[in-house]
Amino acid sequence: MFIMLLYSFQSLAAMKTILLILLTGMTCPVFSQELYVNTEPASNMATHSIGIRLENQGYFKPEYKNRTSLEVMYGASRTLMVHGTMYVSDYYHNGQHFEGGSAYAKYRFLSVDSVQSHFRGAVFAKVSAINNPLPNQEIGLEGDNSGFQTGVVFTKLIHKLAISASGSYLHGFNNLGGYNLPAGNAKDAIGYTLSAGYLLFPKKYESYNQVNLNVYAELLGKNNPGYGQSYLDVAPAVQLIFNSFFRVDFSYHTPIYNNMVRTSANVYLIRLEYNLFNVF
Amino acid sequence: MKTLKIFLVLILFSATAAKAQFTKAELQVSGLTCSMCSKATEKSLRTLGFIDDIKADLNRNVFVISFKKNTPVNFSQISKKVENAGFFVNNLKATFNFSGIKVDNNSFDYSGDTFRLVNADNRTLAGPVTITVVDKGFAPASVYKKYNATVGNNPAAGHVYHVAI
Repeated sequence: MFIMLLYSFQSLAAMKTILLILLTGMTCPVFSQELYVNTEPASNMATHSIGIRLENQGYFKPEYKNRTSLEVMYGASRTLMVHGTMYVSDYYHNGQHFEGGSAYAKYRFLSVDSVQSHFRGAVFAKVSAINNPLPNQEIGLEGDNSGFQTGVVFTKLIHKLAISASGSYLHGFNNLGGYNLPAGNAKDAIGYTLSAGYLLFPKKYESYNQVNLNVYAELLGKNNPGYGQSYLDVAPAVQLIFNSFFRVDFSYHTPIYNNMVRTSANVYLIRLEYNLFNVF
Repeated sequence: MKTLKIFLVLILFSATAAKAQFTKAELQVSGLTCSMCSKATEKSLRTLGFIDDIKADLNRNVFVISFKKNTPVNFSQISKKVENAGFFVNNLKATFNFSGIKVDNNSFDYSGDTFRLVNADNRTLAGPVTITVVDKGFAPASVYKKYNATVGNNPAAGHVYHVAI
């Protein structure tokens, strides 16, 4: 029931975003949002700041299963940031189980900035080491597969609207614990995303303490070339930012189309993020 | 009595030195997208010892900075801190009190750095004057290319800044 409510609310929010984009997106000379919930923007966090994310995602059918992850992000320099994440879930086992971890790095190579708009480009890479069985066709480095991923992301910000697109290549390895990729499974995949974010509130900034409300609509796709397996999910999201350093995200993924075997196509996500500036 | 004299001379000297200084600046940052980004930028700037206080105008992406008295201001550090936060200085207007400063050949020295006035035309400068840094790292490409200005090194020590009034 809760998730149904959440979902209808978020669909509404996504529709509202699209409407707002069409109606007012180009006319408000204020800020824009690119703190995407399901993807990373081309921008990095500030040098020597740390972000800590606690996230829970899961699904209810055929039975309730969920995954919790703890992610630490660090701005290493003005152009480089790194993430490290640990995963725990009951997706592949009875009971919660430590699944392994991933490391991610993003390097910003392009910045074309003016006062209230910018265009940025970055390259990223991710590696993961996971100890789960491999019943799925999807290669996912967020707790499911050991593998690596590399790609590019471009983000364009126009006033209150931020649009971001990414493309990446994924390669799956055999998982730890003696779980090998099945012989008939794809080892390589292509990933692509398209995200839009819109700042709903505040209408006018007065202080850092104002609560920000952002709405997002994201498209998340994967394709196993040569295997005829692909999916495209739509993931509406709502985000609240408190005191300019504490962030709460809600999202729900559901497929537009899907013919790839994966743990679940319909997944909720709740995330808390805490930011510390100038740590070192 | 001698101590008192030295003390008075010191007071006089510090009073004169205190006059010839940067008092405040208006810093506009480009690329800022959200209050979280502004906060990260402000926190980065606040680590600089010569900054007394910062007031942010979140709608214009402007930070109004007041400088500490008698602490030398380093503009390169300001640009570096903004870029470390992931953004760029779009405009830096600083108020400089010219009292007790000798402007020679459209150039003056401040705390080991040299400031070249690009459009002063040998005007006499006195009291508080607002100057805009037009070097790369402080202004958009259209501006620093117009003045062909890049922060250079002073043969003696410090930096050479190009500024417009």
